[in-house]
Amino acid sequence: MGKYVLKSLLQVIPVLFIVSLIVFILVRVTGDPVALMLPETATAEDRAVLTQALGLDQPLYTQYMKFLGSALQGDFGQSFRYGEPALQLVLERLPASFELAVAAMFFAIVMAVPLGVASAVKRNTFTDLIISGISVIGKAMPNFWMGIMLILLFSVMWGVLPVSGRGGVSHLILPAFTLGVGLAAQMTRLIRSSMLEILSQDYIRTARSKGLGRMVVIGKHAFRNGLIPVVTIMSLQFTSLIGGTLITETVFSWPGLGQLLVVAVNTHDMAIVQAAVFVIAFIVVVTNILTDVAYRLLDPRIKYD
Amino acid sequence: MKKRQWTSMWITLLAVVLVLSACGGKSTGTDSNSASSESGSSTSASTTLTIAAATDIESFDPHNNNNTSSEAVLVNVFDYLIKNDSEQKKVPGLATSWEQVNDTTWRFKLREGVTFHNGDPFTSADVKYTLERVAKDSTLKQNSYFKNIVEVKAVDEYTVDIITDGPDPLLLNRLSKMGAGILPAKYIEDNGFDQFLKQPVGTGPYKFRKWTKDDRVELVKNENYFDGEPKWNEVVFRVIPEASTRVSELLAGGVDIAASIPSTDIARIEGEADKKIVKAPIQRVLQLIFRQTEGSVTADPKVREAIDLAIDKQGIVDSIAGGAGIVTRTSVTPGNFGADPSLYKTSLYDQEKAKQLLQEAGYAEGEAEMTISVSSQYKEPAEVVAAMLEQVGFKINLDVLEPSAFSERYSSKSFKEIFMIGIGNSLFDASNNYNRYMLDEAKGESDYNNPEVEKLLQSALVNMDPASREKEYQQVQQILAEDRPAVYLYQMEGVYGIDSRVNFEPRSDEMFYADEITPAQ
Repeated sequence: MGKYVLKSLLQVIPVLFIVSLIVFILVRVTGDPVALMLPETATAEDRAVLTQALGLDQPLYTQYMKFLGSALQGDFGQSFRYGEPALQLVLERLPASFELAVAAMFFAIVMAVPLGVASAVKRNTFTDLIISGISVIGKAMPNFWMGIMLILLFSVMWGVLPVSGRGGVSHLILPAFTLGVGLAAQMTRLIRSSMLEILSQDYIRTARSKGLGRMVVIGKHAFRNGLIPVVTIMSLQFTSLIGGTLITETVFSWPGLGQLLVVAVNTHDMAIVQAAVFVIAFIVVVTNILTDVAYRLLDPRIKYD
Repeated sequence: MKKRQWTSMWITLLAVVLVLSACGGKSTGTDSNSASSESGSSTSASTTLTIAAATDIESFDPHNNNNTSSEAVLVNVFDYLIKNDSEQKKVPGLATSWEQVNDTTWRFKLREGVTFHNGDPFTSADVKYTLERVAKDSTLKQNSYFKNIVEVKAVDEYTVDIITDGPDPLLLNRLSKMGAGILPAKYIEDNGFDQFLKQPVGTGPYKFRKWTKDDRVELVKNENYFDGEPKWNEVVFRVIPEASTRVSELLAGGVDIAASIPSTDIARIEGEADKKIVKAPIQRVLQLIFRQTEGSVTADPKVREAIDLAIDKQGIVDSIAGGAGIVTRTSVTPGNFGADPSLYKTSLYDQEKAKQLLQEAGYAEGEAEMTISVSSQYKEPAEVVAAMLEQVGFKINLDVLEPSAFSERYSSKSFKEIFMIGIGNSLFDASNNYNRYMLDEAKGESDYNNPEVEKLLQSALVNMDPASREKEYQQVQQILAEDRPAVYLYQMEGVYGIDSRVNFEPRSDEMFYADEITPAQ
């Protein structure tokens, strides 16, 4: 097990290297940050002076070697927009996004587990139909539309929750719910199908025939094994929650990594885009390793050599 | 057993992290945040002013900022030597008087008894440090506006001479805009610039308290301000990028002023009893710029005239901009040096004549094919323009680009026949509008080449006599109105939603001087 984790960690290095190369090239061929930094009235000479001052006139490979050399020392360069170290700006934003992602995940679990299990146990009944219907709607609703609607209802009409910004728990409710609904819908359907598969297996019949109570069979035997695909989707989704908060954060002016990245892409702030994608990639691969470890703990049949 | 524990640990951990982060959130939340939902109460109405904008400031370095929304905040923290009043007239700021010593030297008398927020006295050393920094460091975004300042001489503690590289009729304009905010030399020398950015210090009416990036800037009253005690105890600038959220925040009473209201939300705000919409013309003019390179369709003046006549500019203002625009035939708007009022509030719209001109130019229906490139922010007006041009017989390919893709084409000068762009002017001087039509600059972009215009523009750049310089620019505008290297659609207006708690008259430079905004009682 320890060997497996170590091996996985070593594989992280080339992955991050490739990610950094792709992002580096993409941000350099898709726009000119200098044109965005200067007013429309700036002359070509003004742009040339700033381009040179920022070292953007050098050949790509020279720029990349410089970037790589600095990145290995944890320096992702200066943000054009803020004039501060990019990595520091990205790390400053992680707590806000993490808070939102965890809260969304919490909402999703609280909603999905009872609904998914109920839907499986009561399969093909009216209850199942209603739950499936709700989860299809939940999955289909675009984040931004839902966020705007929630603001209209809870903040503008009823005035019970703040509209936007980050603050206490009350500020967290609407964005977390908005972000969590799609995930909850996905998890509900997944829990349902994985529970159905398990409920029809031999060992469940055996457990039932031993005279165990219905709740014990469902809770102890079926639900635990049904959890495996859920853990997968939770971990995969958690990483996409961290990176995919872009829309939700923008709608609720939540000052997290998502909003930072949206602004950085729009203003072509290369250093921030590079640092943010690198950090997100790092979180994704580490989470995936943790998922694999969690698998082994949940299901002893899974072996890694 | 162990595995079950592990599972429940997972769930417990999630719950704990959530609770912790929520508690943590509480501590990061500011009082003004809860105040933002309570600022509707009469107790705090006259003490805290909350303004919501679409974009955050870039930094507290006035020299390394280049957007209007940054300057709108920073003018409350840093003072300029010369201030523009709400009519864009130059009035004393940190300088009490100024005179031109010779063609390349201006002398400024500085205000005595002014202190920075940290208590340091303001002297000529601060002016020297500030202006020489922005003039000499080419990595700074404001450098291009200040690079012709050769030296700042401290004559005595309260007198400075600013020496320029050749005559510079624009110096006073430069000194009253972003990039000329006076910084504390001694404080920066003692603590370093990074520390200054963390804890900025200026001489302005409001002091820095906190900046949570992409969330809010919090300022507090500077009790010792040289121009009397500021009106508000606190000023909060919130960042709300999503327009509908910004409007909701205004409707819910969370902010006093919301900037950049989309035309689609104007009615919604006006329908509320205690909210209203205020508008003011801003510096930005939406325009089409033509490529006149030999062989391109738009090289023919008849074609350019046909384009001008085919577009119903007032129609676009009414339908797309919600009425927030003023049609114009010049990009030099009133209040700017060199403006020509005769070209303002007029538009030539005559579809029949446009069709005729296109035929005279030798193009049958659908033969004159052109590409209009536009950044996605101006997509709607561009679509309407394209439709109007097609009505008179052009064939239009609309090329809508993301802002960063547009920027790349813009700097590589690789647009085809037409690009559509909104151009602002923070200098309030016509020269800034016309750099692009001078020979060197036009090369590869519009390829505009008019020796008479070139002569007038070159002369105006160094003409120190305001009266004749103004005439030069007015002449240029008249020629360009006929020549049409560009067609101007309309001057945009800033649209703000405000709560009846405050009185606010928007400015054409889009600044938020907190002390020009007053409680309604």
